[in-house]
Amino acid sequence: MSHGPSASGGATLKPSPGHHDAPHEPVFTGATRAALDELITRYPTKQAVLLPALWMLQEARGWVSEAGMAEVAALLGITPAYVKGVVTFYTMYHQHPVGKYFIQVCTTSPCNVCGAEDVVKAFLETTGCGELGVTSDDGRYTVIEVECLGACGFATPVMVNSDFLESVTPDTVPGLLARYQ
Amino acid sequence: MPTLTIDGHTCTVDIGGTILDAARAVGIDVPTLCWYPSLTSVGNCRICLVSVEGTDKLLPACATAAEDGMRVTSESHAAVRSRQGVLGLLLERYPVEDIPAAEARNEFEALVRRYDVPTTHRAGLPPRDGDARDGDPAIRHDMSTCILCTRCVRACEEIQVVGVLDVAHRSDRAQIIVGADGNPEHAGCTWCGECVRVCPTGAIHDIIPMAVRAGDGTMLERPRSNAMPPIDRTVRSVCPYCAVGCQLDLEVRDDTVVHVRSPWIEEATPNRGSTCVKGRFGLDFVQHRDRLETPLIRRGWVKRDGRWIFDATHDTASMWPRRGGPWELIEEEGQTRKRGPRSNPLQRSTSGIGPLGDPRDRVATPLAWYAPFREATWDEALELSAQELTRLRDTSGPSSLAVLQSAKCSNEENYLLQRMFRGGLGTNNVDHCTRLCHSSSVSAMQQAMNTSAASGAMREVEDVADVIFLLGANTTESHPVFGAAIKRAVKRGATLIVCDPRRIELASRAHIHLRAMPGTDVAVMNGMLHHILALGLEDRDFIARRTHQFDRVRAAVQPYTPERASQISGVPAALIREAAERYARGPRSSTLWAMGLTQHATGTDIVTSLLNLILATGMIGRPGAAMLPIRGQNNVQGASDVGAIPMVYTDYQPVTNPDIRHRFAQEWGVPDDRIPLKAGLKVTQMVMDDSPVRGMYIMGENPILSDPQVAHAEHWFRELEFLAVQDIFLTETARYADVVLPGSSFAEKDGTFVNTERRIQLSRAAVPPPGDARRDLDILIELSNRIGLPSPYRDAAEVMDEIARVTPSWRGVSHARLESHAGLQYPVHDAEHGGTPFLFADAFPTTDGKATFFPVEYLPPAELPDDAYPFLLNTGRQMYHWHTGTMTRRSFALDARESTPIVELNPADAAAMGVGDGEEVVVASRRAEIRIAVRLSDRVSPGQVFIPMHYREAAVNLLTNPALDPVAHIPEFKVCAVSVHPANRGQSVHSATTPLQATSWTSASPAE
Repeated sequence: MSHGPSASGGATLKPSPGHHDAPHEPVFTGATRAALDELITRYPTKQAVLLPALWMLQEARGWVSEAGMAEVAALLGITPAYVKGVVTFYTMYHQHPVGKYFIQVCTTSPCNVCGAEDVVKAFLETTGCGELGVTSDDGRYTVIEVECLGACGFATPVMVNSDFLESVTPDTVPGLLARYQ
Repeated sequence: MPTLTIDGHTCTVDIGGTILDAARAVGIDVPTLCWYPSLTSVGNCRICLVSVEGTDKLLPACATAAEDGMRVTSESHAAVRSRQGVLGLLLERYPVEDIPAAEARNEFEALVRRYDVPTTHRAGLPPRDGDARDGDPAIRHDMSTCILCTRCVRACEEIQVVGVLDVAHRSDRAQIIVGADGNPEHAGCTWCGECVRVCPTGAIHDIIPMAVRAGDGTMLERPRSNAMPPIDRTVRSVCPYCAVGCQLDLEVRDDTVVHVRSPWIEEATPNRGSTCVKGRFGLDFVQHRDRLETPLIRRGWVKRDGRWIFDATHDTASMWPRRGGPWELIEEEGQTRKRGPRSNPLQRSTSGIGPLGDPRDRVATPLAWYAPFREATWDEALELSAQELTRLRDTSGPSSLAVLQSAKCSNEENYLLQRMFRGGLGTNNVDHCTRLCHSSSVSAMQQAMNTSAASGAMREVEDVADVIFLLGANTTESHPVFGAAIKRAVKRGATLIVCDPRRIELASRAHIHLRAMPGTDVAVMNGMLHHILALGLEDRDFIARRTHQFDRVRAAVQPYTPERASQISGVPAALIREAAERYARGPRSSTLWAMGLTQHATGTDIVTSLLNLILATGMIGRPGAAMLPIRGQNNVQGASDVGAIPMVYTDYQPVTNPDIRHRFAQEWGVPDDRIPLKAGLKVTQMVMDDSPVRGMYIMGENPILSDPQVAHAEHWFRELEFLAVQDIFLTETARYADVVLPGSSFAEKDGTFVNTERRIQLSRAAVPPPGDARRDLDILIELSNRIGLPSPYRDAAEVMDEIARVTPSWRGVSHARLESHAGLQYPVHDAEHGGTPFLFADAFPTTDGKATFFPVEYLPPAELPDDAYPFLLNTGRQMYHWHTGTMTRRSFALDARESTPIVELNPADAAAMGVGDGEEVVVASRRAEIRIAVRLSDRVSPGQVFIPMHYREAAVNLLTNPALDPVAHIPEFKVCAVSVHPANRGQSVHSATTPLQATSWTSASPAE
């Protein structure tokens, strides 16, 4: 089943073998645990800390693994299934490992009219990913389509990790990527 | 209270009641899908939308509060069109081509038919997917029929309080998921089947573990919830496992139990529709091929000149020593190598575990065990039994006879059996396994307040108690349906205090976990009471009005400061203080306990110290302040109530009282002096070396595995002059019998059981006994007649009528009255009295109505770890097995979950001795040793190990200490000293195959 950009969200990451088999080392130890405990004090219930806790997990590991979800569940006193339900509802939690550079290309209508699909194609070819949601063999890149990045006047906007790039065209893609090695 | 009209009917509901509640109250069938009784109303399916006058839009009946003056139309044109639309949308993802043309297989399809929605498939979305779990032995999934009503999610979360399931993903990919990783075990699933029960489409369904063999030898599975061939009848029964007393509906086809359903959730039953894994999936033992179908007589018994004699040269009897056979002793089996425990065979990735195979092949009685026996007629078997029992009575005296009755059998059967031994054979040597479970509770409760049963009910604990104090009870595994109720109580806001040496599931949910060293409970209780008195939190009014001798206890607990209690028990003093305060402040504290307190050489003391705490704080005799010893077996309460114990007749009327004896002798038509005025021997006294017992009758018990120091018991039973065993399988005990009488399982007879809250419930015969096996009651009637005690009963109802005549607190009980599903909680004073859910509001059943305090000093367990035996061994039950495994190890689904014996060992200890998970160790006590595989578990503290009691091949009772409580004569099953050593260093015993693929251990060679 193809899941391109749609109302249900575009970020469908594909598993890359190898990552899943590594045993889960707890994330919430030491300073991270202290940060979480501090965060918990700011919310009315532990459950309410779920979204930030998942962000901390993703920041530490680059993605949210099932074992990581179980760790968060145990810490917050909720069930692993509930955590998974939340993780899979939102599009910005990575359920599979992603590349060092996570590239999000806006393909919503205005950008699409301005040629965003060609930008996507250029990224997929230049990075070697070949397919949306798949991490390149060298582990550097993952490309996905996203909904509106809020820069319709500067089609096609692209985010590489937290960098915001505007007016990207297929021609500028190789030059951009040279900055992200 | 709002009054409204629905379709012209006027109805009134409680404030907060919904339109749906109102409609159901007047019998209007508003359709529902996502709604389910007792679950949170989510209103997500929109099938129950109704028209309300004055409101433009349709309103969900399940989620709209009824208001005064509302005028509702349930089947308005708009509502019906809306429902058709909802059903049509759901059908877009539903495999419509599978829907049978004529009938509806489930709730959802019934609604499709009711609203006449076309089931032609519309092109579009692919079928929904989700949890698959190939190879599960009981629960199967076909998520293509899932309509995402989320009943399963809520049932798991709200009724069972586990939360295995949830909804993940969104939009067209939304689906039900299992835990975070698809592995139910990681998510805490116990396969209770609650999700199966609530599913309206059969997306989650159970296959039949009690599989029936089809004509061609293949197994009949159940592909979809209602796709079985039609059943012949459904019979209401009572679960034969624990004392929660869950009612079950047995579905019968061709005189075979093919499926278990739970009763409708809104019925007044103890379980309200819930079951645990044993009740729903563990009843296939009824049809196991090991069922005894013919009486057996040991070879060598011959009838000459009209009398039976044992001729060791006759037949092939000389092949074995007297009472021997081609089997290993339990002790020998304990030392054979073991297959390692499974390593998660049920995780999702392990697909293709293979077809079920015949569950009856899983754990079978070895064929060789039958060799020392020959098949016999009932006439022969009963004649031989009657002859030998009367011969021993006449030659060696009545006290040379003893009977072990059964907490698994009905009240009627137990009553008749003790009647036969007391009235017919003249002995009070009558006992059963209550001796090994709550006898110390009974002796302590008798002493303090002259009672022998729970004061309150399970529902009180769930709904009303503010504080739940749970001691020595692993309720979520041993009484799972009640365990779930406790979890619901905690969710409701009740405080849970757990006192248990192991970190059991409820301990991890408790507000306070008192992790006391086994057997140190007296110190903890005295310490708590000390602190309560120090703060003045005792209930002075209660103590003054309703008790005696408090000052003695006040003095006795004085030295037990929380610090001293902490030194003895290992529980931090601060926790003892906190627990004491929370318990005493209540305001309604319920006290629950089980074997962790009772199975000690100081069991009576331990329970007495707990009763002191209860009485000093007045936590009894009010709703929500229940005193609840959680009984073990399904009818251990009833067997005791009807006199299957050596010192009392029914209703705990002492055998030492000549007036009471006279009443029974008269009822039975025997002379008074036939029955001794002296209490008989208890189980643990019967099997002592100097016991006078020479002949025994055992009904439905397996003492060779359940008695402490099995090796001794096994030798002792072999020395008997005569042993008759009435059972449904050739148990470890039955193999030493002279006569084996094939009885009936719970599913094959009418009778009553009493649950842990004194509720007498009627269980009905669903199927006939197999082969020539007979109903137990018929066997006992016939044997009584042959022994010379006329027994003119035709059925269990007539026996109950007699029990009611001689049992004051059962006076109003009859089978006719028990037909109503709720049963009756005794005392039931007369035929009109509705029973007594809760006792001691005003007085205790003592002569002056007051309870008595007894001071207790802490005494250490009889055998503590030392240099030679440095570990402390604790024993008990597991979720998936029962007692000596006679039934559960013959249940396919249960034995698949937990098929090998294990010892729980703390990872730190395991690391120190260099053994890993699944490796084999030798556990030795001063009495014996067994080889057993390790399960690493931080449930046990370092220095302690836990071994379940269910496994013949590693019988933990070879190791246990037969030290007895001086009052109750209960053995110290919970504490003994053992050593643990790796069996073969570095050699793993992990089996390459999963248990489901493996052949049964009984057919494996011992060296395997």
